[in-house]
Amino acid sequence: MIQLSNIVAKYPGGEGLDLVNLTVDHGEFVYLVGPSGAGKSSVLRVIYFDIFPQSGHVIVNGFNSLTLKKKHIPFLRRKLGIIFQDFKLLPDRSVFDNIAFTLQVTNTRMRDIKRKVLRVLAEVGLSHKRSKMPFQLSGGEQQRVAIARALVNEPIVLLADEPTGNLDPVSAEDIMQLLERINDKGTAILMATHDYRLVRNSRRKIVKIENGKTL
Amino acid sequence: MAEGFKGLCRAKFSAFVAISTIFFSLILIGSFIIFIFNIQQLINQIQSRMELEIFFDNSYTMEQIEKLHQQLINTEGIESAYYVSKEEAANIFIKQFGQDIFEILNENPLPPSFQVRLKPNFRTSIKAKNLSDKISKLEGVDEVLYRQDLLLLLERYIRIFIIIILSIGLLLAVGSIFLVSNTIKLIIFSRSKIIEIMKLVGATRRFIRQPFLVEGVIQGAIGGSLAALIFYIAFRIIKIEIPGLIFFYQNNYLILTFLGIIFGLIGSLLALRKFLKY
Repeated sequence: MIQLSNIVAKYPGGEGLDLVNLTVDHGEFVYLVGPSGAGKSSVLRVIYFDIFPQSGHVIVNGFNSLTLKKKHIPFLRRKLGIIFQDFKLLPDRSVFDNIAFTLQVTNTRMRDIKRKVLRVLAEVGLSHKRSKMPFQLSGGEQQRVAIARALVNEPIVLLADEPTGNLDPVSAEDIMQLLERINDKGTAILMATHDYRLVRNSRRKIVKIENGKTL
Repeated sequence: MAEGFKGLCRAKFSAFVAISTIFFSLILIGSFIIFIFNIQQLINQIQSRMELEIFFDNSYTMEQIEKLHQQLINTEGIESAYYVSKEEAANIFIKQFGQDIFEILNENPLPPSFQVRLKPNFRTSIKAKNLSDKISKLEGVDEVLYRQDLLLLLERYIRIFIIIILSIGLLLAVGSIFLVSNTIKLIIFSRSKIIEIMKLVGATRRFIRQPFLVEGVIQGAIGGSLAALIFYIAFRIIKIEIPGLIFFYQNNYLILTFLGIIFGLIGSLLALRKFLKY
């Protein structure tokens, strides 16, 4: 489903990738582990085609970086869910509107938007906070909203860039359990983290990255 | 469309800044255009004074003179031909020199003539020369006089004037669009987070661009209309003070508003380029 082959991607001001090989299959949960600046975020950016490799190629759900046209990128991204350490929520919109926004962008009908948003809010356990503004939520809750937003388009894979990086241990544990549940339902997850403790006891696939190279 | 209006309401201050920028740019450009209009009017006035003086056979009868007059006014490029009799020429002499030519010479040697005015598009040195040559060949015409040196000088100044006007105009237009674009860029920058999220969740370029373009058009229309309104009010006031001053015609006010819309649109498009590279 996702295949990165011999990726080299260097750009000014970024971590850069020096030789990355990685595959994520349907329904798989893969940890991408490495110290800060190792290139974890860059790997994710290559997958959602925010940066293009100078050599090697990446295939995501049939979209190949060698043949992909820029106008196709939005349609690929609709099949990906992406979450970040800093949540990236819109501060001037409610929880409901933050999630609905994703569907408005893809011209979904209003009736379907309501149904889908409420379903996904139930999934992350925030139905009761749908009218709150982001600043009225705890960090863990904000990340749940971000996860709900990522899931509402029913993505084939959830890309998570340090999703617990800004959270206290209890909230982090909650988010990890939520991600596990999502994965159990069939959504593949690729999670970048520098926190070895999180993955130490995991039975999941672990890919290590250092200085832009996967090991 | 709705997002564009919402954007305007959400960011009232930045909308105010963008509208003001467009407004002041158009006031500057509009003033410049009014300046050109008036200079143009001045040039036209000078050019309209350009006349050919046609002298012909002293012994011509009134019938022959009338025939020549008909020939002249039927010639392409001639707007009017005014007959100046010997007596009228003497009167003009008195006006010019303050003395009667009879008193000096005891006779009137001044020949009768035609004062020929050219049609506006024939008031150039080349066309005046061609026309002069053509008239010289008419039967009975002795001499054709006109101020070719003045025409040449005027044309030289007009050429220099056009180059200066075009340079300043270009500079003003580019400068204004740059200014508007930068203002809008700052506004968009303040909303770069929403653009980033839109991109991440799979919004197409068109979808992201639309509300900003609508916003740019609305801001441009408001800035342009305000500038048109100010010019209109200024015109009502100045008209009384300087009656001869040329101002905008009615459709120019519409053009000014339209220019505002174009500024807003181009400004938004240029500003968005930076954020929509993918």
